[in-house]
Amino acid sequence: MAKPRAFDVRQQTGFTLVALSCFVMLYLPIILLVIYSFNAGTSIAIWEGFSWQWYAAAWENEKVQEATVLSLIIASSASLVATSVAVMAALATTRTGKFRGSGLVFAMINQPLMIPEIVTAVALLLFFAMIKVATGYTGIWYLIIAHSAFCIPFAYMPVRARLQSMDLNLEQAAADLYGRPWQVFRRVTLPQLWPGVLAGAMLSFVISLDDVVITEFVKSAGQDTLPTYMLGQLRRAITPEVNAISTVLLAISVALVVAFYLLSKSKEK
Amino acid sequence: MSADAQTERNRWLLLTPALTILTLAAAGPLLIVVVYSFLTAGDYGGVVWTFSTDAWFSVVAERDFFDETLSFSDAHLAIFWRSVKLSLMTTAVAFLVGFPTAYFIATRPARKRDFWMLLIMIPFWTNLLIRTFAVMEIIRNEGVVNTVLMKLGLIEAPIQMMYTEFAVTLGMFYVFLPLMVLPIYASMERMDFSLVEAAYDLYASRWKVLRRVILPLIKPGAVAGSILVFVPSLGAYVTPRIMGGGKQLMLGNLIELQFGQGRNWPLGAALSITLLAIVMVALIIYVRSSESEGAHHG
Amino acid sequence: MIEITGLSKTFGAGPSAFTALENINVTIKENEFFTLLGPSGCGKTTLLRSIAGFVNPTSGSLTVNGEDMLSKPPYARPVNTVFQNYALFPHMTVAENIGFGLEMLGRPKSEIKSVVADMLDLVQMAPMADRMTSQISGGQQQRVALARALAPKPKVLLLDEPLSALDFKLRKDMQIELKRLQSETGITFVFVTHDQEEALTMSDRIAVMKSGRILQIGGPKDIYDHPAERFVADFIGDTNFVSANLLSEDNGKAQVRLPSGATVEARSPEGGAHSGAVTIAVRPEHAMLSEPGALIDGRLKNIVYFGTDTHYHVESEGQPTFVIRRQNQPDAVEHHSVGDSVGISFNPGIAQVLRD
Repeated sequence: MAKPRAFDVRQQTGFTLVALSCFVMLYLPIILLVIYSFNAGTSIAIWEGFSWQWYAAAWENEKVQEATVLSLIIASSASLVATSVAVMAALATTRTGKFRGSGLVFAMINQPLMIPEIVTAVALLLFFAMIKVATGYTGIWYLIIAHSAFCIPFAYMPVRARLQSMDLNLEQAAADLYGRPWQVFRRVTLPQLWPGVLAGAMLSFVISLDDVVITEFVKSAGQDTLPTYMLGQLRRAITPEVNAISTVLLAISVALVVAFYLLSKSKEK
Repeated sequence: MSADAQTERNRWLLLTPALTILTLAAAGPLLIVVVYSFLTAGDYGGVVWTFSTDAWFSVVAERDFFDETLSFSDAHLAIFWRSVKLSLMTTAVAFLVGFPTAYFIATRPARKRDFWMLLIMIPFWTNLLIRTFAVMEIIRNEGVVNTVLMKLGLIEAPIQMMYTEFAVTLGMFYVFLPLMVLPIYASMERMDFSLVEAAYDLYASRWKVLRRVILPLIKPGAVAGSILVFVPSLGAYVTPRIMGGGKQLMLGNLIELQFGQGRNWPLGAALSITLLAIVMVALIIYVRSSESEGAHHG
Repeated sequence: MIEITGLSKTFGAGPSAFTALENINVTIKENEFFTLLGPSGCGKTTLLRSIAGFVNPTSGSLTVNGEDMLSKPPYARPVNTVFQNYALFPHMTVAENIGFGLEMLGRPKSEIKSVVADMLDLVQMAPMADRMTSQISGGQQQRVALARALAPKPKVLLLDEPLSALDFKLRKDMQIELKRLQSETGITFVFVTHDQEEALTMSDRIAVMKSGRILQIGGPKDIYDHPAERFVADFIGDTNFVSANLLSEDNGKAQVRLPSGATVEARSPEGGAHSGAVTIAVRPEHAMLSEPGALIDGRLKNIVYFGTDTHYHVESEGQPTFVIRRQNQPDAVEHHSVGDSVGISFNPGIAQVLRD
């Protein structure tokens, strides 16, 4: 006689199957994309042997080189700017409860998350077009400012979370032990805040590096970041060179996201 | 009192840099879009600074070329309809897949849940363009699916999947799925499984437990997830451009088209404001429902 | 010496305003272990934080050794706090935590080192000096928090329910430890707690607070034996309340007539009770079970055995159930059974007339 199986209240028929297929679905396309970046042939579906040739091709492609440099400059500058201003904003808004205008401030900070990117892109296109006509300046600062703006909520969130979970008593204890406000910030607040600041900077970097829509609308002629370059390649026949570039970008994002995850885990300890 | 005034002054000093950047490069320019939507289109792109409501008429109507009568713009309405339809389909499929997935993760041992959620979040934080490329490479005529099917001799010619509504929906589902899983998982994790045990104890079947106990309890998460998927789907630009290939335009693509050479900038501006308005309505519904939910629990 | 005069604190304004402290007047003496006792929300923590400088009182004055405190920020006040959750800096070692105050005061490194070493010895934590604060137990964190607050040799040490997070056994040990530290250092301790037993065990004097006001200040025995108000009697220990009539009042002594017609001597509250109908309070262990015809007569409703003692619940007409507590003796025989007619008696001068 078969042993009666224990009744598992958490079991729902078919859910595990759907969930596991979901994970397969999420990762299969990405894994295939990575695999075919190493294909010796030009196909993205027929395997013809292992080769680094597409990475070499991308590496030697001047357009790719320029786009990579521009992407990195913009992502670093934007994450630096966004994180700095977001830390200040988080210090100003956290732990003080509601203040006059707090609703508006939160709406402003989170606005890039709510408004469709295409709408912001159109708005920036019109605005920067006016400035370009008026000043003649067509450099990368338009992109840096635009990226900084939409990175702010991503930098703000982890810093704010960190500040909120921070024990308010710690700063009071420091003040009680004769620490002046600046000493309290430097010796107690900032050391506690670091993981949040770092996490915010990493998220901003990833978000900036991945942006397509706003960059596509704001960039001046001849400027290309890696994503806009790849979007441009769509009109031509797709070769595994795009896969190679994608794989490198993926690796950077995954590394930063895993680091972010480990950072946010460490703060719970 | 003066201490309070100083606190207040410091607060705004600290906020100034962030608010300046956001005003310059996010919120402020939206006003320009509103202004542009009431201007006259230039003959070769750009605008003429004359007040006009033509752009707003053009959003849903078109003027007959000869007798100037107004009629509904079938082309625009078709695109509006497709945007809403595909976004709703994306949301529905995302829920059907996302809910069991969130359920699966929430019922794992506590130590392993974070790992499974990380697996959901990694694709979300990677490049949307690259993920769309990845899906495209699977369903292209020269892609893996067609190649395998042909090798197996099941089909003779490749099945055309790209540049269809199916392709656009699949692409959006793929890129926005994590946004559905995240909030459902959050409410599942808070759920007390002794409630499920109580329901079984009171003779409920698995299906009844799901429908009468679990689903009502995770409703706030499901609503949040649906809005989080619906809103970016409606404004999607990259995914329909790649997967639809210019054949299956959505609102985002229609807007972009208006800003090319010799196109209608005021119409593009008016369409942008329209999209923004629809999104705002969806967000307000969401905030209202989550507030009443909060009041219910509080 | 801390002198607090007419101190009030109101949070918010208009109809939603909340008065946390109302006209607080108290003088805390040098080298005193002074306890603020009351239920949560009574204002005891607000008062403590006003002394520390984290709350700005709406009105009144607060001096330490004659020096005005209210105009000074927290970092300029010669008082240190032991926080309820200790608030140890998680990114610093035990020794760095203890040395923080002296470092902020700009003391030379050599002095900081020797004071930290002394403090580590004082709280018996020397072997843990280089541990991070997350690597030590709750009781050890408690000791570090104490050492950190004592290191700058403050004039006053403020303790905000410092023992509430510890388990029972550890709490008992720390009570004795705290008392020892206080007498060794000679620093004035202001201690906040909602635990009446803790207050009675450790304090030189106790201020009982309710709704932002101080109801009574006195030594532990004074407060326990002679509560001035019903709230104090009820909050500290168990009490029987009996309604009675005030016959006369003279020099702290009062004659009251009980409902049975019997008269007995009781203590008047400070300032007198004045009115005719009063409530008197009698502690359960101060009353005795006797034969009918005593001060109060009734019927034995319940006998509850507690191990160390036995409680007798006596029901009498028009009065709440009266509880008598009798300590158990190993060879005692139970003479009473439920349903018996019994009497309740207590000695003259035991009952306290309440100021209601």
